[in-house]
Amino acid sequence: MRYRTGAIAKRLLFIPIAVFIVITLAFGLVNLTPGDPALVIAGDLAADEQVAAIRAELGTDKPVPQRYAAYVRELFTERSLGTSFFTKRPVWDEITQRFPDTLELVVLGLLGAVIYGSLLGTLSSYFRRRWPDSLSRLSVTITQSIPDFFMGLLLIYVIFYIIGWAPAPVGRIGLLDRPPERVTGAVILDTLIARDWGLLKTAFHHAMLPVVTLALFYSSHFAKTTRAVLSRALKSDQVEFARACGLSELRVVGYAFREARTPVVTYIGILFAALFGGAAIVETVFAWGGMGQWAIDAMLKLDVPAIQGFILVVGLLTLLVYLILDLIVVALDPRVSYE
Amino acid sequence: MSRARLLLSRARPERATTPEGPGRARQVLRTLATGALAHKGLTVGFVVILLILVAGFFAPLPHDPIQPNPESTLKSPDGEFWFGTDRFGFDVFSRVFASARLDLPIALAGTLLSIAVGIPVGLVASNKSRWSERIMRGLDMFQSFPLLVLAFAIVALTGNSLRNIIFAIALVNVPRFIRLVRSEALVLRESRFIEAATAIGASRSRVMLRHVMPNTMGIVLAQASLAAAHAIIVIAGLSFLGIGITPPDASWGVMIRVGSQNIATGQWWVSFFPGAMVFVTIVAFNMVADGVTRLIGRAED
Repeated sequence: MRYRTGAIAKRLLFIPIAVFIVITLAFGLVNLTPGDPALVIAGDLAADEQVAAIRAELGTDKPVPQRYAAYVRELFTERSLGTSFFTKRPVWDEITQRFPDTLELVVLGLLGAVIYGSLLGTLSSYFRRRWPDSLSRLSVTITQSIPDFFMGLLLIYVIFYIIGWAPAPVGRIGLLDRPPERVTGAVILDTLIARDWGLLKTAFHHAMLPVVTLALFYSSHFAKTTRAVLSRALKSDQVEFARACGLSELRVVGYAFREARTPVVTYIGILFAALFGGAAIVETVFAWGGMGQWAIDAMLKLDVPAIQGFILVVGLLTLLVYLILDLIVVALDPRVSYE
Repeated sequence: MSRARLLLSRARPERATTPEGPGRARQVLRTLATGALAHKGLTVGFVVILLILVAGFFAPLPHDPIQPNPESTLKSPDGEFWFGTDRFGFDVFSRVFASARLDLPIALAGTLLSIAVGIPVGLVASNKSRWSERIMRGLDMFQSFPLLVLAFAIVALTGNSLRNIIFAIALVNVPRFIRLVRSEALVLRESRFIEAATAIGASRSRVMLRHVMPNTMGIVLAQASLAAAHAIIVIAGLSFLGIGITPPDASWGVMIRVGSQNIATGQWWVSFFPGAMVFVTIVAFNMVADGVTRLIGRAED
């Protein structure tokens, strides 16, 4: 127990430094990269005064240390990420408005990936070198080699256009449906709260393809780890003993699967963090309207404060997820605290 | 972060610790040169990549890849346009192969650049010093950033030039090479032939450059192939979003983007063929990585 608290304390002490580095990186991205965003925004034909005006608005006409100080001050005293260059709305509002949608997609997609991937990996290791193994490895080879956005398009063609099971790949609910009363901002959750079962069905229907896309693409990680860990676990003495005791095979596999618990949790954490930004392309394909899609739009329009704000928020979210992940892993696996 | 990663690395099966001797990269190259059938996957993957590259540069294309035919837009595949045309009248077949001219060299250049940075930094970080500790800490921080999004943002902010795309790809891939070279070097340093080299009075830099580094090349080559596959996905993603390569230049991502507006109305061919090409390329790179891993005796099975 003493080791554990020590490890956790050490981990927590690291947080302020990490936050500082994330802030600096988000700042440096815009201010220290070569090239002048003002020139890119203004275009080739702009007059010098126009460029100067944009620089003044972005604040890039002042020296770097002064800008950095201003950025950090604004962040901490006013808790502001700045205002979007194009919509003139606070970046923070833009992000929080869209965050629940992204969170919903990421959670559902990862859930699918974990279930499908672990199932594949378990089948693979149990029927090692027999046809279920080959089949599941074929699935892994295919799904990890198709870029997620292309997989989304393929699904749209096959499941929406040919078979007609999915609704048109635009948005969260039908164009004519009235959105649920906004409580959490997450559409599926809000329909649940409103007890609008018809709309809930529509929302799930619309979520089907993007969720399946993410689940398929990210399942390979889970399939591969589960297979590697379970293959070893199934050969271990404990498993032999469990079988000798006459436990059912399902139970035996269940016990063996515990061995894969920590790596699976670790992958969930890492992918969860990566997907806040990484789901952006899939969001764009399905016009999901989450913060990833918004960030991509901002990048295309060179909305500098928005890009900066997005990078900062995603960076901080990643730190938070990793912190929680480390705490869970320490709780699950006492060996870790001895490192 | 480091703890979780550490655990993940522990989850992988342990591998043989002491390598027997030098010359593994040479062995891989020799196999490629002689096309040994014993490593079918490696040879097939390598040949496919080579074919795509050669076809991109030298194959006689039936139509001009960057000259649209306005009178034949969105035609389904037929005798004249083998893979059909897109809504601007570009010939999909010609563009699919012309795209290899941009996509593959950029992916390879980005990978090479990340190796060129990753090997020296990884070797330095394998020394037991305060600096190596700092490098690894910094790397932890850097990797906890959403690298893909960072790469997108960097290319968007610095402007759409090929150079910037290559830099972004190198940036995304460099951490894995630093980690790989460092962990390899840490194991190699304990082996007998390094001890022997030190015993006959070789300097530290000589041991590093002539004895440790060559022995990491095999596994670096395998990782490079995976990194190139990842780079292909990143480039396709960038140009799919309209950030990297832009029309009329041919790139698989650009083509998929153009076709994405037609796929929900049934014109599948515009996106399908470039997407299939991306798939084939990635599978080929993965096969090479698999083959190299097997060849140097590191396969998990």
